[in-house]
Amino acid sequence: QDGGGLREAMVGVARRLLLRRGLGVAAGPPNTRQLREAEEAAPVFQYAGKAARRKDRVFVWGFSYSGALGVPSFVRPDAGWKKPRRIQPTPYRLETEEKISSAACGYGFTLLASRTRDITKVWGMGLNKDSQLGFQRSRRDQTKGYEYVLEPSPIPLPLEKPQQTRVLQVSCGRAHSLVLTDSEGVFTMGNNSYGQCGRKVVEDEIYSGSHLIHQLKEFDSRVVQVVCGQDHSLFRTKKGTVYACGWGADGQTGLGHYNITSVPTKLHGDIAGVNIIQVSSYGDCCLAVSDEGDVFGWGNSEYLQLASVTETTQVNVPRHLPFKIGKIKEAACGGTGNVVLTEEGNVFVWGYGILGKGPNLIETAMPEMIPPSLFGWSDFSPDIRVAHVRCGLSQFAALTNRGELFVWGKNLRGCLGTGRMEDQYFPWRVTVPGEVVDVACGVDHMVSMVRSFT
Amino acid sequence: LNAVPGRAPRQRVRFLPAPAPGGGGAVELVAARVPVLADHPLVRGPRFRKLKIGAGHRLDVKASGVFVLGIGHGNKLLTDLYNCHLTKVYTVGGLFGKATDDFSDTGNLVEKTTFDHITREKLERILAVIQGTNQKALLMYSNIDMKTQEAYELAVKGLIRPMGKSPPVITAVRCLQFALPEFQLEIHCLHETQQHLRKMVHEIGLELKSSAVCTQVRRIRDGVFTVDDALPRTQWNLQSIQEAIRNCQLKVETELEKTLG
Repeated sequence: QDGGGLREAMVGVARRLLLRRGLGVAAGPPNTRQLREAEEAAPVFQYAGKAARRKDRVFVWGFSYSGALGVPSFVRPDAGWKKPRRIQPTPYRLETEEKISSAACGYGFTLLASRTRDITKVWGMGLNKDSQLGFQRSRRDQTKGYEYVLEPSPIPLPLEKPQQTRVLQVSCGRAHSLVLTDSEGVFTMGNNSYGQCGRKVVEDEIYSGSHLIHQLKEFDSRVVQVVCGQDHSLFRTKKGTVYACGWGADGQTGLGHYNITSVPTKLHGDIAGVNIIQVSSYGDCCLAVSDEGDVFGWGNSEYLQLASVTETTQVNVPRHLPFKIGKIKEAACGGTGNVVLTEEGNVFVWGYGILGKGPNLIETAMPEMIPPSLFGWSDFSPDIRVAHVRCGLSQFAALTNRGELFVWGKNLRGCLGTGRMEDQYFPWRVTVPGEVVDVACGVDHMVSMVRSFT
Repeated sequence: LNAVPGRAPRQRVRFLPAPAPGGGGAVELVAARVPVLADHPLVRGPRFRKLKIGAGHRLDVKASGVFVLGIGHGNKLLTDLYNCHLTKVYTVGGLFGKATDDFSDTGNLVEKTTFDHITREKLERILAVIQGTNQKALLMYSNIDMKTQEAYELAVKGLIRPMGKSPPVITAVRCLQFALPEFQLEIHCLHETQQHLRKMVHEIGLELKSSAVCTQVRRIRDGVFTVDDALPRTQWNLQSIQEAIRNCQLKVETELEKTLG
C-alpha cells in the first residue's frame, strides 16, 4: 500500500508539473471561474468606431429593360447563371460614385445629380432616343450615340465654370430633361418638338444623337425649381413667379392660349403677384402652392382635377382652388390624380384612379383625407407625420418624418416596390434598409435616396 | 377546497317501521325525513380529488411574468381566449457588447464587440424599422384580400391581425431605458416565443454593428391579464385565487364577446 500511495503521489506531482509547464489540459467541464476568465480574456472586435458616419445610398426598383434602373446585368446578364430581370419588384441598391442629392424619373429614363464641384455632376441612364440624356458616344461607332444607356453615365454640361458651379436639381419629362444650376441658369436637353426645351422649334429636327444642350438664363430672378410635365416645362424663380414653355393644347402652360410656346414666358392669372413656393407637374395638369398655403391649378381637367372651380376640361390660366382643408405645404400632380400635404401633416387626394382610400373611391373632385393611421400613426406612436408627398404617373408616394416610405396606386410593372405585382388601394410600406430621405416617381420605376441606419 | 363545508346532504322521505303506539309487537310505518346515506361524507369521500388546471401561453424557464392558468370551466375559456389572438406585452432587457450562442447572458460566449458608438437615436431608428416590417407582416398574414373595401376599413382602424396560425409578429416596440451597455425594450407581440424575443435582441445588436444578449424577458400582459391581476408566489392560496378569478371574470367576458361575438 505504501508503494501504491507513493506512486499516486508521484503521479500527482508529475501531473502538477505537467500543468505548470502548460502541457497538460484540465479534465472535466470548465468551472465558473475558468469560464469567467476565458470571457475576460476574449478579444474585443470593433465593427464601427465612434466616428462612424451614416452612409448615403440610392435604391431603385421597377421596370429595368429600358435601362432606367441603371443596372446593366438586369438587361444584359454578365454571368452565365444570371437571367435577365425584366422587373425589379423590391428596392435594389445602386452603387454611385458620389452622394446623389437630387434624382428625377422620366418616361423610361432617370437622371441623378450631385452637389459636387467636380467636373461630372449629372448622370443619366435609360432611354436616350431623343438625347434626353445628352450625347452618349457609342464605343462601337464614334459618330453615333447610344439609344439605350444601361449604366449611370456622366452627362457633359457646357458649363462656363465647371469646377465652381453646383447642380441643384434635375427634372425629367416624357422625352426632355432640365438641369438647374446655382449660377449658370437652366440647361435643357431632349425633344423640342413642342418647344419644351425653351428654344425655337426647328422643323424636322433629328433629336437622336444630338449634341445640343440649350442654356436658359433670361428670368426675372434666379430659378430655384424646375419641373417637367409630359411635354412642357415650368420654372419657378426666387421672386415667386412661374415661367412655362412647351405644349399647351391642354392649357398646361397656363399662358391663356392653347398653342405651343418655345420661350419661357411668365404666368399670370390668379398667381399674378403671389409668391409661389412650390410648383408640381408630371402629366398635363399643374399645381402651384403659395407661401400663404393656397393652391392654384391649371392644365388638363378631364379627370376632375380642377372640377372644383370649372366644368371645362382644359384650364389655360392659373385658377385658385378654394379648398377648406387647412394651410397647404406641398402639392404633387400625377397623370390623373393629385395629392396635397397640409401643415398639420394630413394628406388629401382627389382626381381619378386609385386614390388611396380603398377600391370604392375611384374619382372625386374635392380633396379627401387619407386617415393618418394608414401611415403608422397610432396611440403608441402619436408623433408620426407625413413630411413629403410625391406623384408618379399613376402612383403616389409619401415620406414620413421617421423616414418610412408609403406608396399606393397602380402597380405598373412593379413600380411600387412592394414586392407584389398587384395594385395597392391604400398606403403600403416599402421595406427599404435605411431612412428614406427623398423619392422620385416615374411611369414604371422609382428612385429613392436613403441614409443607412448606423 | 375539501375543508370548505359542502352541500348539506339531500333529504328524503322514508317510511320507517316504528313500534305502534298500541303496543304489543305491531309495527307501523311512520314517514320520516332522513338524510340520504349516499351523500354522507364518509361514503362519498372528499369532494375534490383532482382539479383540471390548464395553462395558457407558454413561458419558458429563463423568462418570468404573467402566466395564465385555467381551472375547470376556465379551460374552455382559455381555448376561446387563444382563438382571440390578443397581443402580449413583454419587457425585454438587453446588454450590448457580447454575443452568445443561445442569445441570453448565460450562454457560451461567441464574440465580444465594442458598443460606444451606439446612441439612443440609432436604437430608436432600428426599432422603427422593426415595427414597420412587422406591420407589413401583420397585414400579410391576416389573409385578407388587400383589394377589398373592408380590408381598407380594417386597416384604417388598425384591427387587422392574423386570426390563425402565423409566424411571430411584433405589433409595437419602444425603448424604455437606455444606459450603455444596458437597455430595456417594451415589445407588444403575437404568436411569439421568448427565444424569438431573445433572437430579436441579438439581431438588434447586429444591426447596430455591435452585438447584444438578452438578460431578462418578463411578460407584463397576456391579452386582458396584467401584472396587477397576477398573484405572486406568496398569494397562492384559495382565497386570493378565488378573488382573482372573480375580478377578471367581467374583463374576460367582455373581451370574448367583442372579438368572437
